Amino acid sequence: MMKPGERFRSTRREAGLISVSMNAAATLGVRVYLRLYHRLRIEGAENLPRRVPFIMIANHESHLDALVLVSALPLKARIETHPVAAGDVFFKNGATSLLASLFLNALPLYRKGVTSHALVDLRERVTSGRGGLVLFPEGTRSRDGTMNPFKAGLGMIVAGTSVPVVPCYLDGPFEACPANVKLPRPARITVRVGTPLVFEHEPNSREGWTTVARRCEEAIRALASVQPG
Amino acid sequence: MKEGIDYLFTYSNALSHPATRVFLYLIAGAFIAAPLATLALSAKMSEKTRKDVWTRYWTWLVIAPALLVPVLFCPATAIVAVAVASMLCYREYARATGLFRFRSLSAIVAISIVLVALTSLDHWYGMFMALTPLTIVILAATAVLADSPQGFIQRVSLACVAFLLFGSGLGHLGYIANDPNYRPILLLILVSVQLNDIFAYVCGKAFGRRKLFPNTSPNKTLGGHMGALVLTTAFAAGMGHLVFEGTKLDTPWALIVLGLIISIGGQLGDLLLGSIKRDLGIKDMAATLPGHGGFLDRLNSALLVAPATFHLIGYAIGFGLERTPRVFTAAFGM
Repeated sequence: MMKPGERFRSTRREAGLISVSMNAAATLGVRVYLRLYHRLRIEGAENLPRRVPFIMIANHESHLDALVLVSALPLKARIETHPVAAGDVFFKNGATSLLASLFLNALPLYRKGVTSHALVDLRERVTSGRGGLVLFPEGTRSRDGTMNPFKAGLGMIVAGTSVPVVPCYLDGPFEACPANVKLPRPARITVRVGTPLVFEHEPNSREGWTTVARRCEEAIRALASVQPG
Repeated sequence: MKEGIDYLFTYSNALSHPATRVFLYLIAGAFIAAPLATLALSAKMSEKTRKDVWTRYWTWLVIAPALLVPVLFCPATAIVAVAVASMLCYREYARATGLFRFRSLSAIVAISIVLVALTSLDHWYGMFMALTPLTIVILAATAVLADSPQGFIQRVSLACVAFLLFGSGLGHLGYIANDPNYRPILLLILVSVQLNDIFAYVCGKAFGRRKLFPNTSPNKTLGGHMGALVLTTAFAAGMGHLVFEGTKLDTPWALIVLGLIISIGGQLGDLLLGSIKRDLGIKDMAATLPGHGGFLDRLNSALLVAPATFHLIGYAIGFGLERTPRVFTAAFGM
C-alpha cells in the first residue's frame, strides 16, 4: 500500500478528477502565456495526435519545451499526456513532486542508476493505451543550441509496438530560455510537427533500439532543415 | 432567509443539550482510559499488537477532534464535514475499483455529493431525496453517450453503488443538521457505531469461537456479533433516552429498536466493506490513517446506519419541521 506522498513519484500514477482539472487549468494558462509572450506558432498541426497512445519527441533546448509540446495538443489528448521529466530535478522533494505531478501530469525518470524498469513501466503505459508521453531523447537540455545524439531509451519504449512517435522540431526555446537564464525572454517559439513514425517491425532488442533512435534523430534533423513557411 | 442562514451558523448553543455534554465526557474519559488500559495490559500483548494499539490511539487523537469539532460547531460546518467525509470515502472507493478512470461518471458522483450537501444546507427535503433517483438517471444516461457497451453494466453499477453508499447514505448524516437537536443525535449515531466496533472486537476476543462469515471476514465470530448487539443496543437505548427525552421516540421499545438498528446496521456496514475489499483482493482501502487504513475503513460502519436511523427518527419526529424550508432557493421562486 502506497503512502499518500509516494503516489506522486510513482511511474504508474494515474490521474484522477483533481489532477485532471488542475492540469487542464494549468496547461490552459501556459497556452495563453506561450501565445502572448512567445507568439507560439504551430506548423504541421494536422500531424498532432488526437487520441492516446502516442509519444511526442523533440530536440531539447529549454525548460519551456515540454510546456510547448503539451500545449500544442488538443484538450482531450492534453489531459492524458505525461511529460517525462528528470526525476533528479522535478521529483527531488515532496513539494516539487506535487507540483510536477498535479499541474504538469509529469512522470519521473531518474537519469542516474538503473532505469530499465522505469522504461518498462512507460512502455506498459503506452502499449495499454493509458496515455501519451512527451519526451526528449537527447536526455538533457542542449547547452549550445545544437542537437545532441539521441539515446536508445526511446527505442526501449516503442520498438515492436504500434504506438506512433510524433517527431517535432522546436525553434526558439534556446533564444527564449537557455539553461543559464533564470527568466524567459520574449523570443518567438515555433514548433514544427512531422508525420508520425511507427516502429512496429523493429525488434525489441539493442539493435532495434538504436535504429529507432537513429530514425527519430534523422526525422527531427529533416524537420530542422525545412525553410520556415 | 436571514433566519435560516443565522440558524446554519449558530454556535452559541453547541453544548447546551445535556446529552451532548454526556457524550463529550464519555469521549474524553475513553481517551484517558484507553492508554491506561493499554499500559496495564501491555505485558500480555505481543510487541506487534502493542505497537498497533498505540498507532491506532494516536490516529484517533487526530481524527476524533477533526470530526467532532465541525460536527458540534454549527449546522453548516456539520453538513460540510459530512460532505468532505463522503468525498474522501468516494475517492478511496473510486481508486480501489478503477471507477476513477471513467471521468465523466466519476465527476457526476462527485458533483452529486456536493449537491447533497447544498440541498441539506438549503433544508430542501424534496430535492435532497430526489437527488438519488436523478443521479442514477444521469449516470445511466451519460454512460450511454460514451458509446462503449463493453463493461457498461459494471461501470454504471459501480457508480450507482458509490453514490448510494457515500453520497446518499452517508449524506443523511448531514441532513440531520437541519434539526435544532442535531448535535446529540449525530453524536449518538457516531459514538454508538464506533463503540459497536470496539464491543464486537472485545467480545470476540473474550468469548468468540464460531465463525459466521469465514469468506468475508474470518476474524468475526458469533460471540463478537452477539456481544456487540447486546452492549450497543443497551448503550444506544440508554443514551437515546437522554437525546430524545419527551419525544415520541422516548419509549423503551422505540429506543431498543433504534439501538438494534444501529448495532445490526453497523456490523452489516463493516461486513459490506469487508465484501468489497475481498472482492477487490485488498486489505485496506488506503494508508491515509496510520493503524486504521483509509477513511472508508473507519467510516464503513456508518454507511448503512446513517439512512436507517435517519428514517426511523424522521418517521417518529422529523428533522427541523418547525423551521422554514428552502433557506436559499425559496428566494429564487424556484
